[in-house]
Amino acid sequence: MSALDAAREEADAATRPPPTRPEQAPRRWRALFSRARILTALTTLALFAAWWLATRYALVNPLFLPSPKAVWDAFMRTATEGYQGSLLHQHLIASLYRVLAGYVLACLVGIPLGIVMGLSRDVKAVFDPLIEFYRPLPPLALYTLIVMWLGIGDASKVALLFLAALPPLTISSMQAAASVDARYVKAAKSLGAGPSQLFRHVFLPACLPGICTGMRISLGFTYTVLVAAEIVAATAGLGWMIWDASKFLLGDIVIMGLFVLAITGMALDSLIRLAERALTPWRFR
Amino acid sequence: MSLFRRTASLLLAAACMLGLPAGAIAQQKPEAITIGYLNLVNAQLVTKALGLHEKAGIPIKWVKFGSGGDMNRAVAANQVDFGGVGNPPFTIGATRALPYKGIFVLNMLGPVESLAVRSDKNIKSLKDLAGKTAAAPFGSTTHYLLIAALREAGVNPTDVKLIDLSPSDAVAAWLRKDIDAAWIWEPNLDKIVKNGGEIFLTSGEMAKRGYPTWDVGVVMNDFAAKYPDQVVAYVKAECESIDYWLKHPKETVEIIAKELSLPADDAERMMKGTTMVPCSEQLSANYLGTPGKIGKFADTVLATATFLKEQGRLPSVMDRAGYAAYIDPSYLQKALAK
Repeated sequence: MSALDAAREEADAATRPPPTRPEQAPRRWRALFSRARILTALTTLALFAAWWLATRYALVNPLFLPSPKAVWDAFMRTATEGYQGSLLHQHLIASLYRVLAGYVLACLVGIPLGIVMGLSRDVKAVFDPLIEFYRPLPPLALYTLIVMWLGIGDASKVALLFLAALPPLTISSMQAAASVDARYVKAAKSLGAGPSQLFRHVFLPACLPGICTGMRISLGFTYTVLVAAEIVAATAGLGWMIWDASKFLLGDIVIMGLFVLAITGMALDSLIRLAERALTPWRFR
Repeated sequence: MSLFRRTASLLLAAACMLGLPAGAIAQQKPEAITIGYLNLVNAQLVTKALGLHEKAGIPIKWVKFGSGGDMNRAVAANQVDFGGVGNPPFTIGATRALPYKGIFVLNMLGPVESLAVRSDKNIKSLKDLAGKTAAAPFGSTTHYLLIAALREAGVNPTDVKLIDLSPSDAVAAWLRKDIDAAWIWEPNLDKIVKNGGEIFLTSGEMAKRGYPTWDVGVVMNDFAAKYPDQVVAYVKAECESIDYWLKHPKETVEIIAKELSLPADDAERMMKGTTMVPCSEQLSANYLGTPGKIGKFADTVLATATFLKEQGRLPSVMDRAGYAAYIDPSYLQKALAK
């Protein structure tokens, strides 16, 4: 299933009225030890155990899979002494700046654009071919061109991340706006709502769940392009660190970098989910 | 009955699959050979164009790599049978115990790799590079030479803004004036020279100062253990094309020009920048040496390793014997004897 389908499906699911749930508050503490959580914890533990055993008994070449301890040591070393002139948090900040700059720009452009495209067939007809044209292009293929246009500095990296973030945002916002229940609009109009009231009280709340889903998908997308964006002429950044270390076959640094990327990615995702809860509280009641 | 038949045929198929490697060993012939080659001017392009490896009747898969670092990654992933790498990637591979051996000299690097600087920046010495931006593909021969040259000239490499660009990206950055210098190899070097660059220092000059750089042909250990005769045949074909390069320069120019889509003049100039070592000389102490008495290549590798360790790019360094164990001239010896 393509990301587009996923976005559409999730957007559709999100705009459906949420099923009414029984009051759950008293059981909340139990959720901590729910079946699902225990299973999740078991998976994580099993993976780590398998990793540890595989390296402990030298089942794989340590070049391909360094031991958990080696990865931990690489983490401590990079955090305190740095990798190629930058400490770990400096790599992290360099990457986060690029990802967030590209992503926030894409949100600022993509969400309003998507909503307008969802509401107006004409606007959609104008922008749809553009987005559909570059969406399937692999970022690395685009990148050489972007480097020629924007240079080897941060501008080209942010531009690549922006281009990666834009389609999922636009498409999900468009879907969300297009699938607002006409009955809501009619009801609001019959009660005398003007255009601005209609937008604020009907369209926006109805679109928000779909937009939030799009924002989560888009952030994941942007993250996957990070390494590609930092291959060219970066001297700091998590993606660059992983790329450079892989050239020198430093597997421990590579895996450590992947962990840091994954954890920050999950942290950013949970931030968006928190925002989602704050913005669309009726879905989580 | 049908279930029994199906089970039986499955078992038979499984037995056949298990039997395959054994049969292959008996025949001493692999089903196909994957050759990783570098996108630069050397005799491997001749071998490829003349189809010398294909003559044995085994299907050959040619895979092009942008740099030795990429090749190392492919080797680590066991994606090629034969490859070619410069001395720094080879050093990295050996230190990190990649399962390959250097078996013949692809070429010695002369002006085919050079440091080009922007003509209008008035760069008279390496000291003038301080504060400027210089590009090289990290982990390659040129990255090694760039830092070595800066240090020899008494310039702290951290005073120069060194950035990691593949040769093709370096050209793009050069055209945009994002960089002032680049140490890369042909055919991309030429594009820089033609767009406001001048050659400042060549890899050949660095060789004279005691920093020889070379590309070595490598074979994966597993492949060599299974098909030693194929390895000898491979080296023999490569030697043939080195001889062809030396004896038929005009035809070779045509081949290189065609393989790299270049005008013949450019191809000829680039060919002059790279030194082919006839296979008979490769066994001398200046190059590979002989089994048990590995030549100067081991010293280059050791020097490169020491350098990379200082750069924080290698966790440890082996002794000379450790690196010598990664050079195996025995296949070349057999190829020459036959």
